[in-house]
Amino acid sequence: MRVALAVADRPGPVVRLRGVSKSFGGTHAVDGVDIDLLAGEVHGLIGENGAGKSTLMRILAGCFADYDGSIAIDGAAVRLGSPAQARQHGVALVHQELSLIPELTVAENIALGREPAARLPIFLSHAKTNEQARCVLVECGLALDPTQKVDRLGIAERQLVEIAKGIAGNPRVLILDEPTSSLTVRETGLLFRIIERLRVHGTAVVYISHKLDEVFAVTQTITVLRDGRKVASGPTSGWTEARLVQAMVGRDLGSLFPRSFAALGPVRLAVRNLGRAGAFEDISFSIRAGEILGLYGIIGAGRSEVAHALAGLAPADRGQIELDGTHLRIRSPMQALAAGIAFTPEDRHASGLVPMLSVRENIVLSALPRFSRAGLIDRAAEHAAVRQFLSALMVRAASFRQEVSSLSGGNQQKVVIGRALMPRPRALILDEPTRGIDVVAKAELHGSIDRLAREGLAVLLISSETLEILGMSDRILVMREGRLAGELTRTEASEERLVALAAGAEQ
Amino acid sequence: MIRQDDLRARSPSLPLPSAAVLRDYGIYLALLALIAFFSARIPEFRTWDNALLIVLQVSVIGIIAIGMTFTIITAGIDLSVGSLLAVAGIMSGLFAQRPETPLTATLAFTVPILLGLLGGAVNGAIVAFAGVNPLIATLGSLTAYRGFIVWFRVNPIYGLQPYYGVVGQGQVFGLPMPVLILVLLAIAGWVILSFTRFGRYVYAVGGNREAARAAGINVALVTFAVYVISGFCVGVAALVFTSRLMAAQAISGQGFELQAIAAAVIGGASLFGGRGRISNTIVGALIMGVLFNGFVMLDVPQPIQQMFIGVIIVFAVWLDAALRRRRH
Repeated sequence: MRVALAVADRPGPVVRLRGVSKSFGGTHAVDGVDIDLLAGEVHGLIGENGAGKSTLMRILAGCFADYDGSIAIDGAAVRLGSPAQARQHGVALVHQELSLIPELTVAENIALGREPAARLPIFLSHAKTNEQARCVLVECGLALDPTQKVDRLGIAERQLVEIAKGIAGNPRVLILDEPTSSLTVRETGLLFRIIERLRVHGTAVVYISHKLDEVFAVTQTITVLRDGRKVASGPTSGWTEARLVQAMVGRDLGSLFPRSFAALGPVRLAVRNLGRAGAFEDISFSIRAGEILGLYGIIGAGRSEVAHALAGLAPADRGQIELDGTHLRIRSPMQALAAGIAFTPEDRHASGLVPMLSVRENIVLSALPRFSRAGLIDRAAEHAAVRQFLSALMVRAASFRQEVSSLSGGNQQKVVIGRALMPRPRALILDEPTRGIDVVAKAELHGSIDRLAREGLAVLLISSETLEILGMSDRILVMREGRLAGELTRTEASEERLVALAAGAEQ
Repeated sequence: MIRQDDLRARSPSLPLPSAAVLRDYGIYLALLALIAFFSARIPEFRTWDNALLIVLQVSVIGIIAIGMTFTIITAGIDLSVGSLLAVAGIMSGLFAQRPETPLTATLAFTVPILLGLLGGAVNGAIVAFAGVNPLIATLGSLTAYRGFIVWFRVNPIYGLQPYYGVVGQGQVFGLPMPVLILVLLAIAGWVILSFTRFGRYVYAVGGNREAARAAGINVALVTFAVYVISGFCVGVAALVFTSRLMAAQAISGQGFELQAIAAAVIGGASLFGGRGRISNTIVGALIMGVLFNGFVMLDVPQPIQQMFIGVIIVFAVWLDAALRRRRH
């Protein structure tokens, strides 16, 4: 049944890229890259944001008709001018951004673009669609109902459906671009088993990720791109994490978690018995000035919901919130900000930024009252403050008049944090502040968060990355199924204990 | 300081300044090209009086389009403007018909504005606080306001007192009053959108509602306010319109909503929100005015004019989208 099986025995690479280049305007996004993708091999492709990984793979997926260089599939030169052509040649790309249609069912999404026909042409067969999807889901080990609408699914489940959709056409080459950005440890394990099964069947897999531990766990070969060029390539066993990072950034990075752990001040933010029906129950904790409190848990454990309650986005229905000893009643983001609690949301595109506004306009959005007299904005004061924030947070932008959507992910995230800080909050809640951003921007953001804590802010850091939580937090709370499952000090905490608490394996 | 990959991140915007310039100023070039075309072909077109006539003809739609631009920037729309204009016009006319006293004169000038504000506030409350989709909400009020005014006063109102003509027919420094009002409102709209906190919030709410809310902006209040602004502009437009014609009718203003939307959209405002400028909307209205004026002088039959203006609207929006795509 699987075409790929036969390919496994055939010598030579499935895909041979030679001198592949693509420029946008005057800049080379991808510059003369040679790569061979072998059947039955998982090929890791890493590099900073903007290094050209995604562009290179989108060329292979037929997204750009005007690339230079040659692509050969099974030794025959091909020209991949459209996604449909690439798909005919067996190339499937699972996008970084979710591309499912929420109003359709899981099965309809998986079949999208290759719907099985009913007996009469132009009519669709629901039975066949569902049956095919069920096969793919079983093959992937996913216990999902194919007739369920996608908008009922959580973000992690959606990502898994996205991957199932990529596999459904029995691709010869499967490209996974940051497939685990919304997955927890358990679901990542599931994904790795799916990849392993595909690999054994002879599929050539390309794995793009910022998470180096995953790249080491799942790949056989690693290629590093920097500034659009291939800087190094070799078997995974020959790489170390330090050498990878060095190859990616072209220099030594210093510490990824520059945390100074200064002495703590008095209690800033105190939360007692906070609850919201159906979301979380009985949450109590306190954060002191200068303290970073980590909040860990699997997706759906209720961490973001607690953050939303503190930020006023979805107010709690019981419990107390105190800031510097003052009791607060928070019903809206306006009230939270006025009280001194700032929040950066997990999804910067959906709720963090206004894409068509400039960097400057985004960064001052929450603090405009401070920069205006009688409703008129004081441009000079605004410029001065923005300039100061951009340099303090190391935002790299050509001009702060440029649209924020034209910045890289890491710089966008810095702008989101800048916006939260501009009203001078006393407590800061960061929900997944470094998701999907490159390692350099990550280290810089961690440096900024540490500096903010040193300046006396109380920080609640929500992250699904255990290394980040462990590296940055003074204390760590773990949530499970809407409740606190445990609290660990920095010295007690370890990756194993976090995961165990989050999964309910430790009491 | 700036590294290689940062250059890459923003490179798409750098190498094609011509596209960016075209996108931002293309509409001005289009207007100039049209003026040049008609001026070359028709001697009567290129006179000061004709220029004033064009702006005068554009003024009512232009004033409405200023308010429309506010609603469109918030990803909303106000379809009720034509009906609301008829309501405000009739009510103003009822007072302007009476013998002139300080009271009737004051009411004749203020009632249309107050009714505009009220009609806008009703729209705003339905959209912002009840959460009804703006297209549906204002489609409803378009129908309801029209129904009300036809029921209230089906016969036209004539014989308005002479003093009333000052708004529509008066002149200041040789400029027709409607043109002056258009210019003043356009400047006010531009100042509000570009230099005030509220203006910034209008763009933020339209650009990303969720982000605006998370940033602590009172999204409902901003949304409400843009419909009130639109209603205010309609009230002023009703006064200008009635005063210019010295008559009011319950069937006035039909189709004005489409012309105002067309002006904003030709001017590059995005119906998805977040983009739009008052100056460009005015230029959009002028483009339609110049076309209309020029076509009349060239004896182009009215149905052909309509077809042409329809094509222009679609072409302008396509061009805007195409220029935007080239940057990405």
